[in-house]
Amino acid sequence: MEVTREIFWNVGAGLRTAVYILSAISLLFFIWGLIKRIRLWKIGKSENRYDKIGKRFSSFISFGLFHKRFFGDLYPGLMHFFIFWGFAILFWGTAIVMFQDDISSPLFGFFFFHSYFYLHFSLLLDISGLLLIVGMLMALFRRYAIRPTRLDSAFDDALVLVLLFLIALSGFLVEALRISALKPPFESWSVVGWNLSKLFSNLSQKSIQHLHLTVWWIHFLLALFFIGYLVYSKLLHIISSSANIFFRSFRPKGQIPAILDIENQETFGVDKVEQFTWKQLLDTDACTRCGRCQDNCPAYLSQKPLSPKKVNQDIKANLRAISKNLSAKQKQNDPGPALIGESVKEDEIWSCTTCYACHQACPVLIEHIDKIVDMRRNLVLMQSRFPNQLKTLFKNMETNYNPWAFGYQSRADWAKDLEIKTLREDKNVDMLYWVGCSGSFDDRNKKVSQALVKILKKAQINFGILGNEETCCGETARRAGNEYLSQILMQGNIEILNKYGVKKILVTCPHGYNTFKNEYPQFGGNFEVIHHTQLLWDLIRQGRLNLSAKYEKSIVYHDSCYLGRYNDIYDAPRKLLEKIGQIKPKEAKFSRSKSFCCGAGGGRMWMEETLGKRINQMRIEQLNLTGCETISTACPYCLTMLEDGTKEKSLTEKLCVRDIAELVAELI
Amino acid sequence: MANEIWVIVEQRDNKLKKVSFEILSQARKIADKIKAQVSAILMGYKVEGLANILGYYGAGQVFLCESDILKNYSNEGYSQIVADLAKEHQPLIILGPATAMGKDFLPKVAAKLNTGLASDCTFLDIDANGKLLLKKPIFAGKVIVDVSVSNSLQMASIRPNVLPISEPDESKQVQINKAEVKISTESIRAKVKEIIQSAKDKVDLTEAKVIVSGGRAMKSGDNFKILEELVGVLGESATVGASRAAVDSGFAPHDMQVGQTGKVVNPDLYIACGISGAIQHLAGMQTSKCIIAINKDPDAPIFQKANYGIVGDLFQVVPLLTQEIKKLKTEN
Amino acid sequence: MNVVVCLKQVPDTETKIQINPQKDGISDEGVKFVINPYDEYAIEQALRIKEKFGGEVTILCLGPDRATESIRTALAMGADKGVHLCDSAFEKLDSYATAKVLSKALKDIPFNIILLGKQAVDYDNSQVFSILAEMLNLPQVSVVIGLEISDDKTRLIAKREIEAGGLEVVESSLPAIIAAQKGLNEPRYASLPGIMKAKKKEIKKLALSDLGLSPDELKNKINMANFTFPPQRVAGKIIQGEAAEAVCELANLLHQEEKLI
Repeated sequence: MEVTREIFWNVGAGLRTAVYILSAISLLFFIWGLIKRIRLWKIGKSENRYDKIGKRFSSFISFGLFHKRFFGDLYPGLMHFFIFWGFAILFWGTAIVMFQDDISSPLFGFFFFHSYFYLHFSLLLDISGLLLIVGMLMALFRRYAIRPTRLDSAFDDALVLVLLFLIALSGFLVEALRISALKPPFESWSVVGWNLSKLFSNLSQKSIQHLHLTVWWIHFLLALFFIGYLVYSKLLHIISSSANIFFRSFRPKGQIPAILDIENQETFGVDKVEQFTWKQLLDTDACTRCGRCQDNCPAYLSQKPLSPKKVNQDIKANLRAISKNLSAKQKQNDPGPALIGESVKEDEIWSCTTCYACHQACPVLIEHIDKIVDMRRNLVLMQSRFPNQLKTLFKNMETNYNPWAFGYQSRADWAKDLEIKTLREDKNVDMLYWVGCSGSFDDRNKKVSQALVKILKKAQINFGILGNEETCCGETARRAGNEYLSQILMQGNIEILNKYGVKKILVTCPHGYNTFKNEYPQFGGNFEVIHHTQLLWDLIRQGRLNLSAKYEKSIVYHDSCYLGRYNDIYDAPRKLLEKIGQIKPKEAKFSRSKSFCCGAGGGRMWMEETLGKRINQMRIEQLNLTGCETISTACPYCLTMLEDGTKEKSLTEKLCVRDIAELVAELI
Repeated sequence: MANEIWVIVEQRDNKLKKVSFEILSQARKIADKIKAQVSAILMGYKVEGLANILGYYGAGQVFLCESDILKNYSNEGYSQIVADLAKEHQPLIILGPATAMGKDFLPKVAAKLNTGLASDCTFLDIDANGKLLLKKPIFAGKVIVDVSVSNSLQMASIRPNVLPISEPDESKQVQINKAEVKISTESIRAKVKEIIQSAKDKVDLTEAKVIVSGGRAMKSGDNFKILEELVGVLGESATVGASRAAVDSGFAPHDMQVGQTGKVVNPDLYIACGISGAIQHLAGMQTSKCIIAINKDPDAPIFQKANYGIVGDLFQVVPLLTQEIKKLKTEN
Repeated sequence: MNVVVCLKQVPDTETKIQINPQKDGISDEGVKFVINPYDEYAIEQALRIKEKFGGEVTILCLGPDRATESIRTALAMGADKGVHLCDSAFEKLDSYATAKVLSKALKDIPFNIILLGKQAVDYDNSQVFSILAEMLNLPQVSVVIGLEISDDKTRLIAKREIEAGGLEVVESSLPAIIAAQKGLNEPRYASLPGIMKAKKKEIKKLALSDLGLSPDELKNKINMANFTFPPQRVAGKIIQGEAAEAVCELANLLHQEEKLI
């Protein structure tokens, strides 16, 4: 017997035509559906995601094929890995068989589907089918027995799982029945089929062949249904999620796209779904509602109405709803649901702290925050509809360049008796110490500035400050949606920085760090930026700073979102703390890239927190579990929020909150 | 011109406002310096009974302007009466209160009389030539200026709760001069339809002698109760105020806000509970004679401006203080 | 319905005040200027009136060149045009003279209602609205925290703040002058399209001669001199000890030393 199998055995090669016709119909549904969907994405604005093709492919390989972000949670990660690879191999395997049967053999006489190729191929596909079935069972069990909170279930979810399961099962049955009928000895390589075939050993040849034909048709029709239905169900993610990974962002994580040429634009931000870019619309179809974003979102976890997953899905629903009325006339008669207000509520939009946990967790690289900022931009710049406290914030920044109503002339008062030179007096410095609004005006954070200055002087660093020429860096205004104000601030700062020929900027605030490093270049401001934890670690490491003592209390370090997740600075502060502490610092639950936000980012520092639990208190609870006596921070927002948290939870006797600079300054 | 200093007094619901006595007291003193008469202008409806009291505080004469048209205040009515009287009697000086009422109609009087009004003054004296020596705060109290009126008829409005009140001399008799009120109802186009009193019969912040204010550290509107209790033992002219943080947090209504954007107050005693002492708040109470600060944070800026401070938890300290003062009062 | 808003540009309240060497004014150097906060309530109310009744909102401002910026901000919020009374003769005018200049300009601007803030936070005189009402022979309501205009646009009902937390409800005929108080409304933040449109809106500049006034008519009746800083409070003492002790000592101090209780 030749080591191969007859394609269409028992089915009849005469049916080939019928098979082709049916396949073509199914394929047409698929292609037509896909074209419509792509057209829908394309009603969005243009965006260039066509560069760096090589890097795009390698991203597809690492995130898509190798499931880079899946294994944070082992069960669902493994489950999807099985399903993905099981299906992929089966699919391509079938395609290879088709290729050989329809093209290579008849047209080119190239027949490879035999002998060792066939045997290994059969084994591989059987194992893949098994993986697929195991994956499906794991999925069904997870969704309907375990019922994790981050999953919501719709009819489509069940349909898809059952469908794939039945396709795999029926495929095995077809194989088993064929093997049972023909009993080719080499088919022991098709391990599953071979063993399954024993089930039918008692049936007559005729029955087997009958059964085989029936199951074959079931299998075939299910597969065709699968292909035709794909675009209309969550199965679309096979294409959309892969595409989403491919068309990922290569911008720095902490960079929000600028509204370019802002003076000449007519609309700002997004309040209609077609104002998003095509990539943002693709995002909404790439989302499979896995819920990892939600599981890591501090707003969601503190019972605010915001869930990144829900925002995506609501935008998708809005896109569907308006897709029926795309012509201008139709739009007039029925504009469809309002994106902001009906599909996505304002409370959701304002609850975001821009902590990046959602981006970080998403296996298919959806960009949630940009969409929220886009909607904020519309609310602020077009509708002037936003929380009142932000109006005070914006007005203060316009008038006095800081979030409070402190006179801008008093910005350098904190440094009055410290004999620090301003760049106005002498611009020949090795680095500019950018004090920031909190460091200049907030009483608690002034202590951090003063501590840092003490250290800089001890290390004999030639530095200067801008004094009252320094203005807010613009970060908060941008995250709060006021792109116009933030650009004015940024461009003003770039002018001053360039006037003094500044090359290197030292900051204590991670938000400032992020915006100088990743956003100022958008406006022509290119500077080397260093965070004070990096500098202090360098100084200690190089022996330029000597500690006269070590810090006695136990420490837990809180990773700031804008230092850690956004800019991958995790080690310098840790190494520093290890060096200065008597006791090795403990790690909190949720640290490093899984750190839990303090609640102040995204402009939330300036808004009242009226919904749900308080995020800063949740973080304090987590940090308190370590039993440590000192929480060490590297951010003025975190310092404020966490200290407030200890007061609110009456833990001030047990826990103190200190910036790393303060700790170091005490010890030199 | 008549050798007279006129004081427009304010009454509401047949009760004379404290500021009337403050101005009268000082008017008497400056009148003595230039040997002039002090006349009070009393406007309203059935307010004759108040005239004598004005004499105790220094008025020699009272122009009593009564009419049922004056049952409710109106700037058109009041300003017309004063202007008509002034045109008739030609006083040297007209003084009035810088209250909501006074600020509303006194400039109108000045305009009718083609003279200038020095408004919201905190210092009132006179030189030998009869020229008023006035000072007023500007830029929310950050700067003090000397003010003078260049016209022969000088007008000034005085900020309440600044000038001291002399001891009333109940032996003094006052001459009552009934003035004819020639105002028609048609001439009053802006009419008071009704007055909505605030729920509590509170002492007005700007008139209070003692104020106990709460800040964000009060944590809730309900907690202001402990401040009310302290106010309860501090006398009749004591009331509760709030910082802007407390108002913004919803713990107190805006009319209780002390500060640059709230009310500017000038009590004898100001007790700030859980208020950090941001500049904007200080601007509203920094002229208080004695400031007490109670705050958990020893570095709170308010301690820089307070006469006395206690670093502690206000929820502990305030009730203790209430008890202690109660004890002192019963002992004495 | 045509509304005129009189606005003044003043130094931001957080500005560090520097007194000039002659001590007869403050120095402009380094000062940030903003729309007088009370005038913002007037602008917002004017815009709401326009939204309800239609018509035009004109901004009338007496001030130096730099005041144009404040007029633009008001236009960005939605006002239609501006009239800028700008002349060196208009510097340092007292309330009476200011009202005189404004009243002259208002002769050429049709209006049903005039809105302005109850006081300017620089000199805190709180007089212009009242003198202006007298000069234009209009009824006035001041310290207004609530304003309703009848549908036939002939009458208004205003709520004004009086002492001790009370409110006076005043009814007046129109036209009238309304002096706004904090709490009348929440002034809107100018939208970006509003800011862009404002750049093209008309601001008419008028000088002394355009108004047919002579410098003599503007002689100040009120003069300010000897600008000084009030004496700074110095820190007092922090009473040491446990709460109960400290409170005891404080009560005694207040009774015996300060004689306040």
